[in-house]
Amino acid sequence: MALGLRRGQGRNGSSYLFLIPALLLYSAFVVYPLFTGLTYSFFSWKGTLRDGFAGLDNYAGLLSGAFRDQLLPALGHNALLFAGTMLVQNTLGLAFALALSRVRRGKRALQTMFALPYLVNPLVIGYLWTLLLSPAFGPVNALLKPLGLAMPWLGDPDTALPTVIVITTWQWVGFPMLLFSAALGGIPQEYAEAARTDGAGSWQVLWRVTLPLLKPAMATVTILSFIGSMGTFALVYALGGSNGAPAGATDVLGLLFYRTAFASGDVNALGTSSALAVFMFTLIFGSTLLLERVLRRKA
Amino acid sequence: MRLAAAAVALAMAVTACAPSTTPRAADGKVTLSVWGWGPEANFDKMFAAYEKLHPGVDVDARSFTTATEYDTILSTGLAGDNGPDLAWLRAGANLQPLVEAGRLLPLDTKDVPGLAGFDHAILRAAKGDKDGKVYGVPFAVQTLQVIYNKKIFAANGITPPKTYDEMIASAGKLKAKGIIPFAFGGKDDWMLPIVASIFGTAHWGGDDFIAAVKAKQKKFADPRFVEGIDQLNKLKPYFPENAAGVSYTDAQILFSSGKAAMFPGGLWELNFFTENAKDVELGVFTPPVPEGQGLMPGFTDGSYGINVKTRHKAEALKFAAWLASQDYGRLYTDTQRTFSAVPGVTPKDPLLGEVATTFEQHGATYFMNEFAYGNPSSAAVFSKALQEMLLGRITAEKAAEQLDKSVSTWL
Repeated sequence: MALGLRRGQGRNGSSYLFLIPALLLYSAFVVYPLFTGLTYSFFSWKGTLRDGFAGLDNYAGLLSGAFRDQLLPALGHNALLFAGTMLVQNTLGLAFALALSRVRRGKRALQTMFALPYLVNPLVIGYLWTLLLSPAFGPVNALLKPLGLAMPWLGDPDTALPTVIVITTWQWVGFPMLLFSAALGGIPQEYAEAARTDGAGSWQVLWRVTLPLLKPAMATVTILSFIGSMGTFALVYALGGSNGAPAGATDVLGLLFYRTAFASGDVNALGTSSALAVFMFTLIFGSTLLLERVLRRKA
Repeated sequence: MRLAAAAVALAMAVTACAPSTTPRAADGKVTLSVWGWGPEANFDKMFAAYEKLHPGVDVDARSFTTATEYDTILSTGLAGDNGPDLAWLRAGANLQPLVEAGRLLPLDTKDVPGLAGFDHAILRAAKGDKDGKVYGVPFAVQTLQVIYNKKIFAANGITPPKTYDEMIASAGKLKAKGIIPFAFGGKDDWMLPIVASIFGTAHWGGDDFIAAVKAKQKKFADPRFVEGIDQLNKLKPYFPENAAGVSYTDAQILFSSGKAAMFPGGLWELNFFTENAKDVELGVFTPPVPEGQGLMPGFTDGSYGINVKTRHKAEALKFAAWLASQDYGRLYTDTQRTFSAVPGVTPKDPLLGEVATTFEQHGATYFMNEFAYGNPSSAAVFSKALQEMLLGRITAEKAAEQLDKSVSTWL
């Protein structure tokens, strides 16, 4: 790779020129806003008017009493969402992919059906599910009532977050399924055949041959799930509003940022929210790098 | 179309490099631009009257969504060179970022004589907290009360309760007939302090108590306040099942579909129910307390402010003076079907008139808007605490203590 680059450079340095348009766009729309956000976080603000240099005050504010009491639970909920996504969504996705790999007819149609919900905007999904789960009018509770299982699914702090995980799974399960399907398609049949010739049962083939070969795909799915879970906003917003109802049980970092930046009415909202944004970015970026390291090394 | 306008306005404001153009029509008319929220047709209807009186002025109203985007659009608009001449401002705490950034023109009675007649409590919501100057002409006052379905009341032989016991007895009667007495959903937590104040304000003694808390003579953990918010627990049997999980819109539907007999909420609901539940005949009452008469909480909804960078300061001030007049007040009440903040304006609508009389005699300040400061704001903290209380996870005392703790961070 490095060698190839060097050789290309020697042969034709002007190829870098072709990168300039993309680089300009990237700088203007990615690097510049990120950098501005970073600088904003070091100032105190009066509305949209920049006040004095604040040093790390905004960051200290994040960790002060009242704000910390929101930040830590929100972060915890993001972590739980990630855990839930891994356990439920990605396990199911893998199971579907394995099941589909044996299906001969209608595989495409089934794949499309499983993947369909993730083409719909999470806000729409969230809205649909609040209607389905509404304790007053929802069909889900109407069906469960005769069984004595009717619950305010999104209205009880104990069931709200698990319900969010189930809905997230419902929407996204097609995504790990497609990735795993592609990875399964890339494993030569001969490996399994060879294992079977050596007397391995189908479970042994799965555990000893197929799953180890899926590790790179698992790493990708894990990292993408992590980024998705940490940055989630639209679905939880549609399900529980900007405060993460009920009683903050579905509050996540994205909602906390939204409240701080747009709905707090605080004079220094810009400073606090910029600091929070930098914190979130650092956390997600840092953890992703770490995850990538660990997972790739294992894979 | 409106969205496109908003996007263009936002883009221009953000880049803030477009050359400033003076919006002066070809015929030499001065165009005053006004930003606000709500139905645009209402603005056009109201401002047409002013244009008729002042042929040299063209008032161009733009309406944005009420949601939080408006605050962002306005603060970027005012920061740049292409903001409006006048704009609807939020009341109280949410106004302060604009005031502190110096985006608004302070108003006085010399330019806007009408301000002198405004109720002190109403005007306070348009003031800068630090400098005490007035930055807007308040346009609306919202009151909080119980809206009821007249037909259901009549069919069950119930009249608006005069005493607390009568209210509980009527609610019990409705419940026995399979009708939900109060359509109240606590899932959208902003509704919680509103409903708590509808049933509780008289328990804690209205404005006197709030003043004592502000003067740090009393705390919210005071037994009277605790008793007030505890009303939500006491009335729980008369709310929909699992009230904490019922959303605001679900509660609205419960009432408009006739499944529930009463809806504790804001005056703005009248407009909504009139539009969406045409066959429901509406009435209003203020819930009594064991001691007798209840109090009706109310708050200033917003005000018209002037952009400090306006290129038509004289015209804008003249327009603001008209906005503070009874002419405009009447126009506002009749067009928007809510109260005008202008003093001495009596609404044509009989139901509104009834509310106006009650508010005049038994009005109080809605406590939560007075404590919407801090980050997270005390209103957000307390809304969440009330939700936990309704879920049975904490007691009313604990919820009040959480409010005290939050208020102590900024008061």
